[in-house]
Amino acid sequence: MAFQSRRKFCYFKENSITEVDYKDVKLLRRFVNDQGKIMPRRVTGTSSKMHRKLVRAIKQARNIALMPYTNISTES
Amino acid sequence: MRYYESLYIVNPSYEQDRLDEVMKTVSDKMGEYGFSIINHRLWGKKRLAYAIQKHKYGSFILLHYETETVENLDQFQRFMILEKPILRNQTVVLDTRPEVQKEDETVDESKDSVDSEDRNSEKKDKQKSEEEAKEVVAEESKETEDEVVEEKASTEEESVEKEILETVEETVEETVEVEEKEEVQE
Repeated sequence: MAFQSRRKFCYFKENSITEVDYKDVKLLRRFVNDQGKIMPRRVTGTSSKMHRKLVRAIKQARNIALMPYTNISTES
Repeated sequence: MRYYESLYIVNPSYEQDRLDEVMKTVSDKMGEYGFSIINHRLWGKKRLAYAIQKHKYGSFILLHYETETVENLDQFQRFMILEKPILRNQTVVLDTRPEVQKEDETVDESKDSVDSEDRNSEKKDKQKSEEEAKEVVAEESKETEDEVVEEKASTEEESVEKEILETVEETVEETVEVEEKEEVQE
């Protein structure tokens, strides 16, 4: 089969995670692209409920300088 | 009872003694406002995702506390902003009471990351220098080629000029000789 679509799944549901901590940068990095942008739900397959928590956590991590707002300025 | 978590970044150049001083002033202030501290520990020296006040690193300090009155929270926030060694702080409301953590879970990224960063920068510098050297060599070779061509051209021109001059001189001499001969014949 040439076009076998990959199954999308919610990472948090699969690993039975109910809360997203903004200090867990390693986890949050999975849901951010190289530029530092938050990936859309249609790409990651995260459930609506967890995506809301995830977005909040990423924004909190950005505020306290654990994650970048953008990666362009740091590379130069 | 409400539970809060504050994470604040202290100036990375502060040594352990001065860090302890900062932590002590913060805990004294919290005692003043009537908050009871659950955890107050150094999380570690970490690399910041972006520079804050031109600092690339920061000492992260984690603070868990509980309180019944919400009134003093604004004042505490104000105190944290005004405190000079604290670069940035963020307070988050917790749903459940946080566990009491041990002291020895500190992370120090600074040394490793500094080394790796230095290495990376060195590598980059090396690559850059190599590229620059290549470019310079290429330019030099181009220049030398150009010079050689120019020199060739100039030598050719000179030779042509010399030939022309010589021929002109020869003709002049011949004419002079011819004139002399004619005079003699007369």
